Amino acid sequence: MALLARVDKDVCISSGKCVADAQGSFEFDADEIAQAVDGAAALDRARLIAIARTCPSGAISVTEDGVPLNLD
Amino acid sequence: MTETLTEIVIDNFSDARDAYRQKDLRQGLYDAGAVVMDGVLVNLHGDEHRLRRRLENRMFRRETFEHYERDLFPGVMEQTLVPHVAAGRTELVHFGHELMLNLAAVTAGVDRPQGTRAETERLHRYVGYFIEGATLAHSTQDRAERTAVIAGQLRAWREEFLVPSIARRRSLLDAVTAGGAGEESLPRDVLTALLRHGDELSLADDVMTREVAFFLLAGAHTSATAFVRTIDHALSWVAEHPDDLDRLREDRLFAQRCVHETIRLNPSSPVGVRRALADITLRSGVHIAEGSKVVIDLAKVNRDPAIFGDNADAFDPTRTMPDGIAPFGLSFAAGMHVCIGQDLAAGVVTNEDPGEGHLTGLVPVAVQRMFRAGARRDPENPPERDKTTARPYWSSYQVLLGA
Repeated sequence: MALLARVDKDVCISSGKCVADAQGSFEFDADEIAQAVDGAAALDRARLIAIARTCPSGAISVTEDGVPLNLD
Repeated sequence: MTETLTEIVIDNFSDARDAYRQKDLRQGLYDAGAVVMDGVLVNLHGDEHRLRRRLENRMFRRETFEHYERDLFPGVMEQTLVPHVAAGRTELVHFGHELMLNLAAVTAGVDRPQGTRAETERLHRYVGYFIEGATLAHSTQDRAERTAVIAGQLRAWREEFLVPSIARRRSLLDAVTAGGAGEESLPRDVLTALLRHGDELSLADDVMTREVAFFLLAGAHTSATAFVRTIDHALSWVAEHPDDLDRLREDRLFAQRCVHETIRLNPSSPVGVRRALADITLRSGVHIAEGSKVVIDLAKVNRDPAIFGDNADAFDPTRTMPDGIAPFGLSFAAGMHVCIGQDLAAGVVTNEDPGEGHLTGLVPVAVQRMFRAGARRDPENPPERDKTTARPYWSSYQVLLGA
């Protein structure tokens, strides 16, 4: 099962929580907006979901084989 | 948008989290406090909010918090505490605000060139007016009269503290632009960021004044309030669980759990308020018509038994949280207006063994230090509630220190 994360750049408020919690899997782009590196696929399932759930602005979505996961 | 009298009260956790993340619900908590809050970050919406938040968030990153918690705050704590330990007592409300203000001034970018206690005391008095202004919605006083007083104090503070702070930063920015100084010479604070990006943000002077005042009051007041309340809860807890007194003094993670539990039960504002800019339907099916006022009853949301169990009303720092739920509930809000200083005040949340690098936040550091100093209630001077506001603040909380 392939999990992929995506950051909605219109929603991200650049809190940096994902970048601090998972350096290498999330980073800031040139505009200091977070982005997932290769979909943050290097993270294990539980950690990726935890990071997406704790995004302050709810900007991180996760799909599993293309199907959106319910993060509630 | 057509204003209507429709008010929707949300009192369960799931709807509250959903509501906080709705893009078409704008901030509505501070409508009565415009004298301090008009045009400040937490009151903005849409592109204007995102632009300013992205800029100011750079001052609120993990590495900055680490510097504050490890390098700066312990010294500030000791310096602030010394005279009180010598006196064998302190009043926690004033002490907490003085302590947190020392850091909030650095974060906001408000200089105190004299470096005296008298100067800090003057700044403290101004901040008291700003806090009153921001919370006017819950005031029990004549709001029009208080608004006029607070506006005057804001102007006086600007002349005494802000104008010189702006002048110093403009001089530093000019030196960097001219190549005479490096980036490292610039303070990492909100005021410097606002001055540096003034053209991008198009900030009027009065908005910049309120923005810096807001960071000053938010940084000092919310942490100071959590500090006093945590000590109150923890004193009651250790009275019932005497073995946990040593744990509180030695285990910073336990102190952090006490702070989280306190903040869950006592959110800084007892309600969140939003205004609907469009028709919205929450996932649960709750419909919110355009123009509605949405009141998020945080006291109930954070005690939702579906999330926090049958003893949700109780203070229990040993509580186990469900996956995906913050131990402080929604007290720091969620969505676009989630508290920018959450990790600074209450640290990083973890359910695992966090190891050496874990940040617990400044309030747990301060609470633990007070218990190490022997803090206990003064039986001759019981704590008193603040009668000038409907918010559950303490106006006075006397404690004894020492053995």
